[in-house]
Amino acid sequence: MAEILLKNAYVIDPISGINGEVMDIAISGGKIVEEVSSKPEVIDCQGCLTLPGGIDSHTHISGTKVNFGRYMSPEDMRAGRTAKKGPMHITSGYSVPTTYGNSYRYSALGYTTLVEGAVAPLEARHTHEEFKFTPLQDSCANILFDGNWGMLRALEEGDIKRAAAIIAWTLNAVKGFAIKLTNPGGTEAWGFGKNVSCINEKIPTFDLTPAEIIKGAIRANELLHLPHSVHLHCNNLGTPGNFTCTIGTFGHVPDLNDKRQTLYATHVQFHSYGGTGWSDFCSKSEPVANMVNFRPQIVIDMGQVMFGRTTTMTADGPMEFNLYRLHHDKWSNHDVELETGSGIIPVNYRKKNLVNSIMWAIGLELALLVKNPWQCLLTTDNPNGAPFIKYPEIIALLMSKRYRDAEFAMIHQDTEKRVPLPAIDRELDWHDIAVMTRAGQARALGITDLGKGYLMPGAEADIAIYPIKTDEIDPSAEYEKIIQGFARTEYTIKRGRVVSRRGDAIIDGENTTFWVKPKVPAAYDIQHDPTFMELFERNYSVRMSNYPVQEEYLHRNHCIETETDL
Amino acid sequence: MNVIITFRNHENPFIPIEAEMITPDAFLEEKNEICVAVGNRSYPLSEVADFSIVGEASSVDDIEVLIRGDTSRVKRVGEYMSGGAITIEGDIGMHCGNFMSGGRIEILGSADGWLGREMKGGEIICHGDAGDYCASGYRGGRRGMRGGSVEVFGSVGDFACEHIAGGEVLIHGNTGDFACAEMKGGTVTILGDTSRVCANMSAGTCYVYGSAVEMIPTFEKKGTVNHDGVLFHHFRGDVANRGNGDLYTVHFTYLQ
Repeated sequence: MAEILLKNAYVIDPISGINGEVMDIAISGGKIVEEVSSKPEVIDCQGCLTLPGGIDSHTHISGTKVNFGRYMSPEDMRAGRTAKKGPMHITSGYSVPTTYGNSYRYSALGYTTLVEGAVAPLEARHTHEEFKFTPLQDSCANILFDGNWGMLRALEEGDIKRAAAIIAWTLNAVKGFAIKLTNPGGTEAWGFGKNVSCINEKIPTFDLTPAEIIKGAIRANELLHLPHSVHLHCNNLGTPGNFTCTIGTFGHVPDLNDKRQTLYATHVQFHSYGGTGWSDFCSKSEPVANMVNFRPQIVIDMGQVMFGRTTTMTADGPMEFNLYRLHHDKWSNHDVELETGSGIIPVNYRKKNLVNSIMWAIGLELALLVKNPWQCLLTTDNPNGAPFIKYPEIIALLMSKRYRDAEFAMIHQDTEKRVPLPAIDRELDWHDIAVMTRAGQARALGITDLGKGYLMPGAEADIAIYPIKTDEIDPSAEYEKIIQGFARTEYTIKRGRVVSRRGDAIIDGENTTFWVKPKVPAAYDIQHDPTFMELFERNYSVRMSNYPVQEEYLHRNHCIETETDL
Repeated sequence: MNVIITFRNHENPFIPIEAEMITPDAFLEEKNEICVAVGNRSYPLSEVADFSIVGEASSVDDIEVLIRGDTSRVKRVGEYMSGGAITIEGDIGMHCGNFMSGGRIEILGSADGWLGREMKGGEIICHGDAGDYCASGYRGGRRGMRGGSVEVFGSVGDFACEHIAGGEVLIHGNTGDFACAEMKGGTVTILGDTSRVCANMSAGTCYVYGSAVEMIPTFEKKGTVNHDGVLFHHFRGDVANRGNGDLYTVHFTYLQ
């Protein structure tokens, strides 16, 4: 593989403790090395901002749910059309673009690793197939366990080790990366037309409460020593007053891991609502952020809402049905056998809408009120809050109070009485942004050991070079320059090759899928467990032997084997 | 300014020609070279048609375009036009008058599908028949025709005026299935027969002078009304969509 020498790079690498040093980076064989041979390809960065490749720890870019969003919204494909150009395929779509559209646009923003936020295990095969055609980013799949009957039965019996064994078998079978819980218990109840409204309320089909499911999954996760923690989408998403549920959930989280957090709570903006209904809807970002500040074992991501048209898609079926009752537009719901469900609705977040304006403010407040940037990562829950192409605007909003005030003047005038945003003066710096878009993600996902998220010798050569000279820009005043700078990298380097140059992909690329394989002792090998086999044979529409995703589906992949405590 | 475009017979008549640049607006700017796509290749207009321009124009309304020859597979003529006139002597392909906001298109033959889709203003007169989705919206869209007028002397295909949100449509012949589906506004008059009309309408007015067969059952019958010297049955609906549209029909039959 070619050798590259980056000269005069202005590096911010929070994991290695580098905050703005001009240095050279040597790349060889897809890795960052101490030095290269005499004739490398030299790229002069001219002091441009150089960061590790971006990592999106929660996005929806592949799989059946995303694809159904594409089916449902042919009008979305009328936007974002680009023609074939060099090695770039034709793309189309705005909020749910084609796989290549996702890949090229993420690459232009400097992103090199993506985590698909929710994959139903039964439908994981499709996700892996789409990963293959998202070639410029490495990929991981969070696997949904919120309504997994096998796991729920084991938890009901209080057998955490059995639950862990089922999780281990499933993750290995579907080549997943982490445990995702979406509205635990609620999506399962939705299969019977019900929902749960409180984490301490029994779910209708099992003798369990959502809190017990969450705690059980957390303990099972730590028994298996998975790289990532439990990835939780809390109950009651989008309901006024749901912040009590969110805080209650955070209160149940023990601190079990000294390398990373014990719970990753995703798109917390959607879970920080006050009020008793839409008429007194307000922001409760302060108590939620305080809770996070007091609990280092929790990492959240913003789930920022940005104004405009998008498509919401989640495994939280009942929430999407409630959203349909507000919008009366097209919608879809889907039930996945013994596992989970999903729903999709196109929405338009409008500045003139009070609720949407408050949602916009809450995401920013969370990022500004959580003191430690390692604990609040930058996402839009793409495409639920906004398509990921809005990330540069979010970065500018976080770095510039003036920009926030200018935007605040344009939104619904009553927002001021319901949110604390105008009183927050904090402006994040370049280092904070580097943490929130790559280093924090790498640490939260537990993939620093794989060479992700930093730029020292031994790391994967995933690098983003932005046309930003930090000493020439005053972020709080020149926010336009931040938006432009982060919207298009000069170079995006993936595994030692330049994949994107000034917004255009220049090679086909080949990505890696990361998946986990917990080493389970024979006594806990659930594949030969008669009770589990019977559950499978009786209730699934596929045979157990046809269920696993074969490695052939994965293309290039990296298996993370973990030692377990079973 | 008079522009006469004569399309030559194609070597392969099954390859469509996309001619979204044939609008009076494009001829107003002299420097504009008019290009058309034949299949997946782009050519200057002179490759597929002879054309002559006579006179000068100071505004778009002074421009009259006459299109002759084999035009049954020429698509998107008059897309986004804002003024002037286009006359088509024969049949015209799909998507004629997409998004037009002003001016007039007269088709002496028949039109294919999507005639006047999502148009905002202006006038379309079709002397023959029109295909499916006449004066409608597009796939996944929520609003179809928003203004202007469409008159078809023949019959139209299925899903005529789907998602229509404004403007006036007059159809002298019959319509296919699901005329005025998802209607949100505007006025549609059908002088012939229609089938499953106004499904899921939320607002707007539709007159059927012939017979509405397979009437949707979720309409509330309000009695009879004399309009234009003709006795109409008046329906309100679609109740299933909490709609408030008016459907007037001379005869109707429910699905047996």
